Amino acid sequence: MDELEIKNLWTTYDKRLNENLVFNRKNAEQITHLKIQSVLSSMKPVKFTGIILGILWVWFLGNLISKAIYTASYFFLVSAGLQVLVSILAIGIYVYQVFLINNIDITGSVLITQEKLAKLRASTLLIVRLILLVMPVFTTFYLTSDMFIKENTLLWVVQSAVTMSFTFTGIWLFIHINYENRDKKWFKLLFSGREWNPIIKSSELLAQIKEYRIE
Amino acid sequence: MPKIMIESKNTELFLSVIAAHKGIIYKIANAYCKSEDDRLDLVQEIIAQIWISFLTYDNRYKYSTWIYRISLNVSISYYRKDRRRKEISNSLEDSNMLYLSESSYDDETDIKLGQLNRFIAGLSQLDKALMLLYLDDRSHKEISEIMDISTSNVATKIARIKEQLKQKFSQL
Repeated sequence: MDELEIKNLWTTYDKRLNENLVFNRKNAEQITHLKIQSVLSSMKPVKFTGIILGILWVWFLGNLISKAIYTASYFFLVSAGLQVLVSILAIGIYVYQVFLINNIDITGSVLITQEKLAKLRASTLLIVRLILLVMPVFTTFYLTSDMFIKENTLLWVVQSAVTMSFTFTGIWLFIHINYENRDKKWFKLLFSGREWNPIIKSSELLAQIKEYRIE
Repeated sequence: MPKIMIESKNTELFLSVIAAHKGIIYKIANAYCKSEDDRLDLVQEIIAQIWISFLTYDNRYKYSTWIYRISLNVSISYYRKDRRRKEISNSLEDSNMLYLSESSYDDETDIKLGQLNRFIAGLSQLDKALMLLYLDDRSHKEISEIMDISTSNVATKIARIKEQLKQKFSQL
């Protein structure tokens, strides 16, 4: 089939739609009576909840650190400090997402709108990566200097192995969780399920947009 | 003018704009959805988004350009099983807004149309948008406005997709 034939075929399709496509005005009119939120506005409450919970968590940890700064072990202070740092970064991402939500115009041109939408969805993956990166602090916050003197070697071997494996896994996942690895078995295992599909597809769309901008 | 009269005038205008551009909405929804249920759902979502944006319609653009933009943006970012969309469907007596009263022509045309639609469905999200605009005879300038790429880039990308299409049909 050549170009002209294809165009003619599409014209036939158009003609068929003009003749047979029925628009149900009554059903469409009902939509005008509903209080409908846009897809983007409906995302805002979740993001605001994330910001508020994040601020409360940082406030709680900050208080804990300031009260225990002279009495708690260095391990606890450093672990809690790292947790505060990552939580602040996660709050920053949520604020960025709210900013994107407010700036996305569904009537805007396709590439600009889709780029913002894809960035919005893909940034959720960054929050997951940050949470994984901070995993090792959950294996260190309870350590004290006394334990180094009093506890036996076996405990230290186990403790070191656990902390090192959490650190290695956290850093490895932080680096490797990205679109390029979407077809790897471990990636599919971690991010299977319908709630992850839009996020993974957004990364794919961002790559398409980048390629599309090249003349 | 009383508020109720303005609302009624807006609703009438909205319905007439949708009626005039129903083909665009249907073709786009059809290209981005594999199943009938998903297409019904997507058409409903596009019409809802057009209504939400209707009061802020930017008259620098033609209605068709504006509807292409909304329909493509909604379709490209469409994901099934959205809870919010289910709530809209549940509030409607019947969520079917666009349907074909007669669905076939003759065997040969149907087969060829089926092949063409399958080819379009197999394209990437953005190529699909470009192909639909090209087949709908939109000028390169209008495609460039809808997509936000330069007119020369539109020509290059369309030529590449047409080449793919030619190869695909030559293999049949």
